[in-house]
Amino acid sequence: MLEVRELRKSYGDVTALDGCTFDVRRGQLLGFLGPNGSGKTTTMRSVFSLVKPDAGDVRWDGSTIEAQERLRFGYMPEQRGLYPRMKVAAQLSYFGRLHGMEKAVAIAAAEEWLERFDLADRAESRLEELSHGNQQRVQLAAALIHDPDLLILDEPFSGLDPIGVESMISILVERAAQGAAVVFSSHQLDLVEDLCEDVVIIAAGKVVLDGPIRELRSRSPHRYLDIELATRRDNLDASFADFEVVESAEGRLRLRVGNDTDLEPVVRRAAELGRISQFSYTPPNLSEVFREVVGQ
Amino acid sequence: MSTWASIYLIARRDFTERITSRAFQLSTGVTLLFVVGMLLLPTIFGDDDLAEWSIGVVGETPVGLTVAVDSASGGTASSSVTKLDSRSDAEDALEAGDVDIAIDTEGAVVVDDDTDDLLTTAVVNALASISIAERADELDIEVTEIADLFTGGYEVESVTGEEDEDSDENRIFAFFATVILFMSIVTYGSWILIGVIEEKTNRVVEVVLGTVRPHQLLAGKVLGIGVLGVAQVIVIGAIAVAVLLLQDAFEVPAAAGSVLAWALLWYILGFAFYAVAYAAAGSLVSRQEEAQNAAFPLTMMLMGAYFIASFSISGENTVLRLASLFPMFAPMTMPMRIAGGDALPWEIAVSLALMIISTYALIRFAGRVYAGGVLQSGGRIKWKEAFRTSDV
Repeated sequence: MLEVRELRKSYGDVTALDGCTFDVRRGQLLGFLGPNGSGKTTTMRSVFSLVKPDAGDVRWDGSTIEAQERLRFGYMPEQRGLYPRMKVAAQLSYFGRLHGMEKAVAIAAAEEWLERFDLADRAESRLEELSHGNQQRVQLAAALIHDPDLLILDEPFSGLDPIGVESMISILVERAAQGAAVVFSSHQLDLVEDLCEDVVIIAAGKVVLDGPIRELRSRSPHRYLDIELATRRDNLDASFADFEVVESAEGRLRLRVGNDTDLEPVVRRAAELGRISQFSYTPPNLSEVFREVVGQ
Repeated sequence: MSTWASIYLIARRDFTERITSRAFQLSTGVTLLFVVGMLLLPTIFGDDDLAEWSIGVVGETPVGLTVAVDSASGGTASSSVTKLDSRSDAEDALEAGDVDIAIDTEGAVVVDDDTDDLLTTAVVNALASISIAERADELDIEVTEIADLFTGGYEVESVTGEEDEDSDENRIFAFFATVILFMSIVTYGSWILIGVIEEKTNRVVEVVLGTVRPHQLLAGKVLGIGVLGVAQVIVIGAIAVAVLLLQDAFEVPAAAGSVLAWALLWYILGFAFYAVAYAAAGSLVSRQEEAQNAAFPLTMMLMGAYFIASFSISGENTVLRLASLFPMFAPMTMPMRIAGGDALPWEIAVSLALMIISTYALIRFAGRVYAGGVLQSGGRIKWKEAFRTSDV
């Protein structure tokens, strides 16, 4: 288990982390969310000692993280990069060996990953000769070559085409299913909602929400009311001026209400305006929860 | 995984990637061709450079004249003899330019304005040594005994005892080593500089530093590129020496052994020191275009050390003595002092100790600067700032 405890870090007057705390269990696939500049990258770098926090610590299975522990971690930074002129297979086995693998084992693992990504015939090509998408695959393979127990990926979906996203998802799910703790950051919240059970949302260096997505959604003090009338009607929103109207179009209306709202008067008022063809009352989705807590 | 295992892996990658690159193979080949070509030039074109002297002789040609003249010229000329009938013929031939000089065996060497002074001297000396040999023969003295006739039997012995005859020669030999060190640092230092920046511009560095510590990455890089550089110097140097030896154009100085050993030790220490310093300079910038600016202070120090050394070939001075104690100057200055027999044992010890300590300190310092500089992109970072913001 990865434990991030009370991390604090400032750069001059800028506070990057302000008591960031959360856990990642083995087998968990955790979405690590937050607006730009909220401290996601700084937190991830702290795990790899690329950043030394002013206070707080990061532990793995209960002990402080040293060089030995880090060998079992895999990291894919937001700024991708490998050696452009190095041959693909040699590059992968090099990263395997840096993580303490024996030479033969590292070479075999490199072959396996290239096989899996349909790149076996490019093993002897220089990285720079590969297409952008294939370079991204090699990058992921470099983070996975040693079967890490902890996998940290900073914006793994950025710059991927739909097929790339699909294959990235399947690998993350697979790694978690095999018992690795997997953390990734992303701004694609719909994707995160489909993929993860749990998220941590960070804002201004502090964790503002942490838990299963279902729970976070239902814990929200807000609900969304969607009403659709069969009869076309303009100025629907004028009839609901006492509510917070999120969206209004011909015959359709989306309201944000408190989670203790009595629905009956609303339904009645809508029914007076026309025949209701659709009515729903749902908790906010992840995107909306996110916007609520980070104030955007 | 131990620190050394990581350093070894990194060093091996840098070494193999470079040695298998076409650019490296090409530049080594071109350098080799150039060096060997330069060394072979005198042999290939050498004969053309000999002056051709035509000597007119009136009377019987002295035995061994041309050989004696050639050797008196110090091997710079090749002479031939033209028989002349009389003194007036000789004067005519001189005027017509048919001969460069004429010998009247009655006892005169005839010259004109066009006659090379060197030729005149060579001929006079040659005739003198021929007649000395003839007279010695008449007196029944062996040629080998002639030299003894002129030996005084006394030698100068200095009571200070330090200045031996070879010290100048050794100092020049040591300076030669300094020149090679200077050229190696300039060449391979910039390889290291570029190599370090390359990792930052490729952004691969964050992945690598997720596993190894910055000072390990730096040490590995310096070692990999350094070993390759030194190997290149040794290969080119060995081939150059072989070419020289084959041509009999090179004499190994008497005290070469110990001077060479010292020069090698200082070469390695000096190379390591500057290699690490170049790596640190590289860690401060994020673009190749800024590389030379970052390395400017180092280049200045290097030039300074080189000039102090080159102004001190003739012997010891205060600047040299002081400079040889400081790590940035010592590798270029101390070997000359040792070769000249001027360095006191404590000075050597202090200088060596400072050298080793400062190289180690520089690796740690550069590692911190590197870590601080790596994760900040854009622009050049000041030494102090990088050190302060560094976390590792």
